[in-house]
Amino acid sequence: MRTLRFGAAVAFVTVAFLSGARASAHHSRAGYDQAKDKLTTINGVVAEVIWRNPHVYLTWDAKDEKGAVVRWTGEFSSPATMLSEGLSRDTFKPGDPLTFTFMPTKAGTPQGLVIRIVRPDGKVVIDLSERRGLLEQ
Amino acid sequence: MHARNLVPILAFTCAMSQAQLARAQAPAPDSAKPAAIASVPPPAGWKSCPRCQNEADRKQANIQYKVDGHKFSPRDLSGVWGNQGVGTAFRTPPPFTPWGQERFNATLGEKNTAGEPLHSKDTSGEGTGSQINCDPKGWPRLHTYNYGFEFVMLPDRVLQFFEITHTWRTIWTDGRKLPSPAPEPRWMGWNVGRWDGDTFVVESTGYDDRSWLTDTMPDGGWPHSDEMRIVERWRRVNYGTLEVQMTVTDPKTYTQPWVTAKATIPLMPGAELWEDFCVPSDYNAFNTDVFLPVATGK
Repeated sequence: MRTLRFGAAVAFVTVAFLSGARASAHHSRAGYDQAKDKLTTINGVVAEVIWRNPHVYLTWDAKDEKGAVVRWTGEFSSPATMLSEGLSRDTFKPGDPLTFTFMPTKAGTPQGLVIRIVRPDGKVVIDLSERRGLLEQ
Repeated sequence: MHARNLVPILAFTCAMSQAQLARAQAPAPDSAKPAAIASVPPPAGWKSCPRCQNEADRKQANIQYKVDGHKFSPRDLSGVWGNQGVGTAFRTPPPFTPWGQERFNATLGEKNTAGEPLHSKDTSGEGTGSQINCDPKGWPRLHTYNYGFEFVMLPDRVLQFFEITHTWRTIWTDGRKLPSPAPEPRWMGWNVGRWDGDTFVVESTGYDDRSWLTDTMPDGGWPHSDEMRIVERWRRVNYGTLEVQMTVTDPKTYTQPWVTAKATIPLMPGAELWEDFCVPSDYNAFNTDVFLPVATGK
């Protein structure tokens, strides 16, 4: 129960199989698998929001298939860019249940480049599909 | 079970049910353009930073500040300009000298296990695909990559402030000549300016040769030597538009001058510069928590 005592959370992992070409970005994100068909969606609970340069990142807890809680890290862009996308340092708080869609790492580490976040009521909080080049051209 | 354990368990149960609900209701990502999400507004009486605005904000600001047809003085470059630099300024270089080729080769960094560049020698502070140490970008790399800049016109100098890395350069207009040779190399060079009609001409030299003109794809950066001289020609073609063209002469690195195409930079009337420091401790945390595990799997 140690994990529960610390308020960690939830989860199950689903991989969204989508069609499409590789995303492009001005700068290398070589560690992330940018293929659309590798986009991954996970439900989790926010652990920490790090609102700093060079890039905002957020951690969340989710259970893997064996029931073990895994701490994930999701990368965004700079704080200024996130403000332009409607995200502020107060948008997410520890304990918030969210659905994360992200580009996973090629190395298989529990990290991702965040594409989309949805609240339990279905509200899309942020959608970086266009910024990450994931829309059909 | 202790009562103190009940609260987190209830919180967990609630969170899980909410998360499961989210899974059921969340629309699957698709290729459709997402609905526009409004940017975060600045505090009342303040303006957003250039990069904090989205395209809708910029269009609205142009209307609000009556940019189209606005009166202007061609010799007043004051204002906040652009939000992303002139990324096309240095793309196709003139042929290298042997020394220049050697210097360029040295900018190529390590690769990951898939053979993709990690940009490990890029010291620019851009945060994506490179481990950062907050070395200055220098000029003219700040021309190619910035988050917006501000020209401030003073009687004896023009100041160009850059939001990214929160730095500036001074362009002296009091008639002084460039030192030859410059006593110390500078990341931003030694800069003097003069008016040629309505064109503001900036000449500079005395650069620190550790900076790049800009990064290159898929890896590395265009180098320069301490002999580099730059001539910039800036012209305010209307209230809302700056035009700029640059000539880089560096015979130690390139066999011909590098003349950039004319580029335009839009006024950002609804924006003001915020601060965007490269904070070493923040960048170290990012490298440790994000960049290195993603790049190396460790």
